[in-house]
Amino acid sequence: MSRIRSTSTIARERRISFFIFISPWIFGFLAFQVVPIVFGLTTSLTNQMAFTVQRKFVGLANYVKLLSDPEARYSFLTTFIFTLSHTCLAVLTGLIIALLLEKELPGRGIFRTILYFPYMIPLIAVGWIFRIFLDRDTGFFNIFLMKIGLIESNIAWIGQYTRGSIVSLGIWMSGWSMIIFLGGLSTISDELHESARIDGAGYFSRLFRITLPLLSPFAFFQFVTSNIYAMQKFIEPYILHPKQQRGGQLTQQRPPRETFFVMTRAYDTVFNRNQYALGLALLWLLFVVILIITIVFIKLGGFVVYSETEERG
Amino acid sequence: MALSLSKQAVLSKIVRFVLLVIIVFIFFLPIVSMVVTSLKSMSELYRVPPVVFPRQPQWNNYIQAWTMISYERFFFNSVVIAVFFTVPCIMGSCFTGYGFSRFRVKGRNAIFMVMLSTMMIPYMVTMVPLYLIISKTGLIDKRALWILFGIQGLPFLIFLFRQYFSTIPFSFEESARIDGANRFQIFFRIMFPLVQTAVIIAAIFAFQWSWSNYLLPVLFLRGEKVTLAVKLATGYVDQKQNILHNIGMAGIVYYTLPIVIVFFALQRRFISGLLSGGLKG
Repeated sequence: MSRIRSTSTIARERRISFFIFISPWIFGFLAFQVVPIVFGLTTSLTNQMAFTVQRKFVGLANYVKLLSDPEARYSFLTTFIFTLSHTCLAVLTGLIIALLLEKELPGRGIFRTILYFPYMIPLIAVGWIFRIFLDRDTGFFNIFLMKIGLIESNIAWIGQYTRGSIVSLGIWMSGWSMIIFLGGLSTISDELHESARIDGAGYFSRLFRITLPLLSPFAFFQFVTSNIYAMQKFIEPYILHPKQQRGGQLTQQRPPRETFFVMTRAYDTVFNRNQYALGLALLWLLFVVILIITIVFIKLGGFVVYSETEERG
Repeated sequence: MALSLSKQAVLSKIVRFVLLVIIVFIFFLPIVSMVVTSLKSMSELYRVPPVVFPRQPQWNNYIQAWTMISYERFFFNSVVIAVFFTVPCIMGSCFTGYGFSRFRVKGRNAIFMVMLSTMMIPYMVTMVPLYLIISKTGLIDKRALWILFGIQGLPFLIFLFRQYFSTIPFSFEESARIDGANRFQIFFRIMFPLVQTAVIIAAIFAFQWSWSNYLLPVLFLRGEKVTLAVKLATGYVDQKQNILHNIGMAGIVYYTLPIVIVFFALQRRFISGLLSGGLKG
């Protein structure tokens, strides 16, 4: 009897300790996530504007309004195109760099550090650096491409390829992807490569038959997380704005249609046009879209990603 | 056969080395562009054909970048915000990660999944309503908010600490428990010192996160209290509201420098720590 009681007190003590230790997160989760989310959702069902005195429940009217607005739908489309190209190119760059850095190489640590470094630079700084770097007349990128003979006349990257120029930021900051792939590569045993080599497999057949399948879970993880983050881009379109900016608040000048991403539109709706409810509804739509895409991805991932347990079972 | 194999290895090394040098060169171009632009004079900035290197480096731009906007104030603001955020964030993430790694409690994995899935919530979905709530309560413009933001930790760092703690054998704690130490004594005296590498990683991440974050300070701080991210986002302007790119770049150099120093000072432990502990789970 006493024994049972003592194990149950231990279990209770353990449960209490568990919740004490995770209480910082629980506090933040409730205060900064649950409460605002509920507040945001309920507000999105009203006609709330900045100075609305008589708040009225309007049901899904804001959502209907957004879904029937071709401009808002285009925002989703352009965000989607951006996200896809951003994720693919950033992950691919990270993969290529990681494969080049895989084995023994003089200066390996230095390469790794330097190529990781852009990821550490604050986004606002990166935005401005690229605004200058991609400039049509004086940007180093055009000068470089001219020097190596790839282009013959200057290209207005930010003007013509506004979305693409924001993608280029992601490529430059692909150090995170590189680190994850390097971590993945270090889990692949040398013996596997060695025995394949003895069997006469060349570099590329080993790459496609061994390395890439074994890296696929790491690539998959990145696709999921990178998609989530890329769909939330908001400040870059303001900095990489095709028009020469003037002083004043950065977020005053609305970006062109092509880079008026959902987040940017939501920010503009809430803070420049004071349409709180409509902006919150837009954010909620994006949330649902992210949720659906992530779930579809995880479901699809089961087919694409190589997994050892499945192989054995 | 052996000879050709080693020859192949040497050849592959050379090819990889050359490719990496090219990539590093291209990756460096934006940095070079930043530094060079910060040293140009106003007339060199827009000259066509473009001036690659300024004839006379304008070091004066760096003085202007500092004095034009009283940089020290915003720099100070950024440091305060970063410290207010980073310290609680490390502690919160560490505590929570320890909780998730050490206590076999019913529902633990479910809570952990909820924690990870909060990464899917777009930050504006929580931050914009939070702003609307907080602006009503009058807590706006209070730096102490960042302590509260920090306490909950960042999901990735909670995950990281959980990974690090789960590599430490249970026997470490058990012997201390027999000696009569309570949970918190065990945590602070034994466990916390063992995850130093994770603390360094968390410190760099949290500092970088707060140093570069734009949305929180733009929502919750006003006028004189805003951080460098907000101040520099607009750029430097002259009286006619023209943007001064050269001085702006000098300001960006100052802004990036603390991250450069912290990162390169700790990069060895940072990167190897990320590779060995964080990503294998």
